[in-house]
Amino acid sequence: MAANWFSAPAPVARRVRAYFAPVNRVAQTPVLFDAAEQGGFSLDRPPAPWISLGWIQEFTRKSRSKTSPVLTGIPAATLEQVRTTLEAELSLQFLSWTKLTMALATGSQHMNLLVTASGAVPSGDGAQAAVAVIPQSGSTATSIVLTGADAAKFVPGSIIALDADYSGQMGFVGAPVAGAYVRQALADVDYIRRVTFNVGLVSQVNSTGLTLAEPLPGGAPTAGDKLQAVTGFVDRDGGSFYQEWSALFVMQGSQGERIFFHYPRLQNMAGAEEAAIPLDGKNKNGQTRVLLKGQYLALPVTDPLDGERVLCYRSFLPASNALVQ
Amino acid sequence: MQNAKDSFYMALRTRLAAINPERTILLRGTVRPGILVEAAEAPFSQFPNDVYVLRWLGLGIDIDLGSTMAAEECEILYQTCGTQSFGGLDRGRSLDEMDRELVAMFAPFYTPKLNYTATPPTVMLTHVFWDEPGFGPISVQRDRLSRSAKVMVYSYQEQGE
Repeated sequence: MAANWFSAPAPVARRVRAYFAPVNRVAQTPVLFDAAEQGGFSLDRPPAPWISLGWIQEFTRKSRSKTSPVLTGIPAATLEQVRTTLEAELSLQFLSWTKLTMALATGSQHMNLLVTASGAVPSGDGAQAAVAVIPQSGSTATSIVLTGADAAKFVPGSIIALDADYSGQMGFVGAPVAGAYVRQALADVDYIRRVTFNVGLVSQVNSTGLTLAEPLPGGAPTAGDKLQAVTGFVDRDGGSFYQEWSALFVMQGSQGERIFFHYPRLQNMAGAEEAAIPLDGKNKNGQTRVLLKGQYLALPVTDPLDGERVLCYRSFLPASNALVQ
Repeated sequence: MQNAKDSFYMALRTRLAAINPERTILLRGTVRPGILVEAAEAPFSQFPNDVYVLRWLGLGIDIDLGSTMAAEECEILYQTCGTQSFGGLDRGRSLDEMDRELVAMFAPFYTPKLNYTATPPTVMLTHVFWDEPGFGPISVQRDRLSRSAKVMVYSYQEQGE
């Protein structure tokens, strides 16, 4: 067996694809991406638990780490360098508005606007919600079994949120992604369903329950979970909570090569902000595309390989038969 | 560069056959997908309707790379008078259908480079890739609607090319 080769120039990529995985906030455990084992995945079907955030643009990253020289001798000269701070920032614009992209582009809790109870008093982040319904046994991540009366409360095209009742829990709440940190007991029994990331779109309704267009991120309902209809989403500028996520960005080169930027821990470092891009470059006052802007601070993890603290892993999988020296 | 042009054409042709198998042309006694390269056929006095015609235009070269990059501009021309069964009143819809097919043919925006002078064609080491197309305005000539789209096609020169 023999192989020919070619000298590959710098990668040429059209866009950047972004992926999300939840950080276990209680255990402070991020999701790690292994480019050696998982790097060949189809961009439309990332390996679990990664979830696609779609295409992004204006992806820029900047290391803010600082180094200082260690000076010795007279006159002093640099003997070596030491890294005094470890810091990195990145920014991007999401090309889609979804529960996930909105939540990751805001600086604080991101809430579901639950369908309100009749006559409820208006509130900035959603009034008192209509009573939640209980999934029956046999439900899965894509099929929610309900009683006939409960199923009749939904129509195809409904958005649903599924999670536990709030019953005095403290700390991080929401599954599979921590949607908020509760510092003091709350009165709203629906609070966890307001902040949960476990949402989905109903594609079919029949007398036995709901079929979802995509699997729920949290998988099949568990005991204690309840279901409510959602009309949309809301976030606030302010608050004390920071979303944190494991991030993976992929650039697919023209020759099949791939560049991965893996940040095990990212937190928002700015409030909600949008970018308006004119659809027609010649008509700046015409229709504009509204993009979610995200600015993030990378937090360190300790690499178990050698105990070093790191912010980001950049991996490169060369094109087939490309010279590597 | 001929391998890149051949590979681009064959990629579009293969994709068109999958997207709309009914868009065909009888040329030199053979029924084939309705796409052809102008420079590889006898001169036309007038382009045939309802098929795509590829015309290669500009060429740019960047030699300051590990492998020389070639950028070639391709214009794809197409026209229609609609169908006889509707007396040509569907020519706008017919052109829209050709627009949609062409957009679908461009994705994904790359294809392996093959050497079609060999039999069977041999797969080379690199990919040919291209940008999104730029569509020109519709041109109306009596009952004929025509349009062209331009796209930059990139490739790396390999040993022996």
